[in-house]
Amino acid sequence: MSRAPVRIDFRGNTQQIEPHMAEAVQRATAKFLGKREMLIDEYGRDRWESLRQAGHELRLHTLMHLDYYLALLEERVTEAGGHVHWARDAEEARRLVLEIAQQHGVRRAVKVKSMATEEINLNESLQDAGIAVRETDLGEYIVQLAGVMPSHIIVPAVHLTKEGIADLFHDKLGIDAPPEPTKLTEIARGRLREEFLAAEMGISGGNFMVAETGALVLVTNEGNGRMCTTLPPLHVAVVGIEKVLPDLESLAIVLQLLPRNATGQKLTSYTTLLTGPRRSAGEGGAEEFHLVLLDNGRSQILADEVTRETLLCIRCGACLNVCPVYNNVGGHAYGWVYPGPIGAILAPQLLGTAVAADLPFASSLCGACADVCPVKIPIPEILLRLRRRVVEGDETGPAVLASAPRLAGIAGSAVMAMPRLYEFGTQLLRVVQAPLRRGSWLPALPPPANRWTDVRPFMAFGADFRQGWRQRTPLGRGRDRRRKIALALGASAFAAIVAALLRRPPGRRAHG
Amino acid sequence: MTPQTVTARTEILDKVRAALGRTTAAPAPHVPEAARIPARAAGAREVELDRLAREITHLGGHVRRLAGPADLAAALAELVAAEGVSRALLWQTPALRALGLTEILAGLGVEVMPSDASLRQIATCELGITGVDAVLPETGTLVLRAGAERPRTASLVPRVHLAILTPDVLLASLQAALAESRDVACATLITGPSRTSDIELTLTIGVHGPKALYAWVLETGEA
Repeated sequence: MSRAPVRIDFRGNTQQIEPHMAEAVQRATAKFLGKREMLIDEYGRDRWESLRQAGHELRLHTLMHLDYYLALLEERVTEAGGHVHWARDAEEARRLVLEIAQQHGVRRAVKVKSMATEEINLNESLQDAGIAVRETDLGEYIVQLAGVMPSHIIVPAVHLTKEGIADLFHDKLGIDAPPEPTKLTEIARGRLREEFLAAEMGISGGNFMVAETGALVLVTNEGNGRMCTTLPPLHVAVVGIEKVLPDLESLAIVLQLLPRNATGQKLTSYTTLLTGPRRSAGEGGAEEFHLVLLDNGRSQILADEVTRETLLCIRCGACLNVCPVYNNVGGHAYGWVYPGPIGAILAPQLLGTAVAADLPFASSLCGACADVCPVKIPIPEILLRLRRRVVEGDETGPAVLASAPRLAGIAGSAVMAMPRLYEFGTQLLRVVQAPLRRGSWLPALPPPANRWTDVRPFMAFGADFRQGWRQRTPLGRGRDRRRKIALALGASAFAAIVAALLRRPPGRRAHG
Repeated sequence: MTPQTVTARTEILDKVRAALGRTTAAPAPHVPEAARIPARAAGAREVELDRLAREITHLGGHVRRLAGPADLAAALAELVAAEGVSRALLWQTPALRALGLTEILAGLGVEVMPSDASLRQIATCELGITGVDAVLPETGTLVLRAGAERPRTASLVPRVHLAILTPDVLLASLQAALAESRDVACATLITGPSRTSDIELTLTIGVHGPKALYAWVLETGEA
């Protein structure tokens, strides 16, 4: 994953999408949603709705008492023998992890896929310091070998074919592999086994943290999460401060919501609760445990009463799966770690609207994301709030819409208010376009308008619209026109009288 | 705590409090009733055991019901032959030891790892045998608590995981299972064998964790 972007150009990114991206993404999203539907039917729709409501109440309650639960968590992790660190921003988090690694002389680290570590761009900073970091989720391992970005948060390599992966294994690992998922998985298993055994440090994120007990909870399917936290002698977890839950009873709620909504599983293969380091040599597991609590803009999000609900998110990815925009552009277009509707509300808040001004607009506001959200985040409402922040600015940030579109908007409204100026403008465009015009089309325009014409032609400017409309009107002109108008008026009056009679209350009609 | 930790901690907690409109730490809050759900009610024992078997089988695991410890030797002989087992890692809890697994395996020519085996040695095992602390029929989940005689690696590193349980570990709800999982450094909920759909969404069993999961229910005796 690349460094935090300077400016996310969503529209520009959509021009760079690989041809089969939409198809690959839609296969994944349809599969997850289909399995989800079946499971919710089995669970019971009413029971599911109660569970969602409880999930919402629970996450909101936790956010409203976040300081209390974070302090309790720190106390319990420390009691269990773990070390707790606090990171105000990405830079501080990277430095903390690097310091821990260097104190232990770490050369090789194995890692479980985690959004928080991608958000802070941890791999790059460790690699710059000479520490090899190996992603160990099969999909993440493949995209790391290929040097490409993940396209879906649950299945990162969904846009790659098995033939492409076989070629990749041949080029990067020197292994001739048949293009069969089972064989390719077997090869990756063998390769990564060695890495797990050799690594001096395991790095993870965390799906949840339980304040009451100090447990870090990992929800995984492949087993690499358990490998990374069991085999190396040192385990470092980087987790956003909003991931805390009050107690184990709360965990039971989110564990019923997350896998069902994410992948259509009742529970994932492995749900692991880790409370501090191992307590005896015999049980195995990391000898030392460090938890890095990451703020990186989250406390700022909490300050806005509308957008704070962004932090309810439990990262199931269902809002991606239902989103008509995401299904057509895939994850890369969103330009950062968090794609889809949740990315469209999270990125502008974590990176600032100056960087991610495009994203709140990358939505049709259809609301499917809010309907599928397991903790009922009002995503469309937050999108609107952020659009307003982009255009008008608010307490959190000033307006950041680029000056050109703003000026164009002001000029446009002025021209529209002056019919003569408007008419002059349309006449002018007809003349100006002459050298570029080919029949009814403008096939190529100079920059910046070429961003449109590179993909599709622009329609040539015709005569003044209102003049054209008068000529095209089916009413025509003169006597014929007057006759048609009279006929239309008569028909309307007749229809109005009939409608009024039908609408009279029956009682009055009986008396009349 | 280092000065950095103190400063960062104070600053983050202060920002959180300011965002929530407070200046001091919140008193211990009470989780509202609206944020709770009722626990699933237990069904009859046989219904629950059938459900457990159905769910685990559906996930690609193998469930077998054994009338008692006497049937273990024959079942293990079958498993060892079918999976080509030459080395095994076992939990050494009193209940499992009482079943005489080490002796049965030795009789089958299987080498049992000593309790101080290194990770490299454990990585050569084809079979890991564990007990089970709780099972959840609704999801087909086995709950394993780690401890001195209960290595985490036994259910993770070998290619085959055999979990031996007795019906008395049946629990109805996730809440109950989690409540029993406090006070250990590691509790793992295992729901089917290791799996992935990362390559073209094709379900593949056995990525990093075990490829084969066997759950044997011992009708009598202890495990």
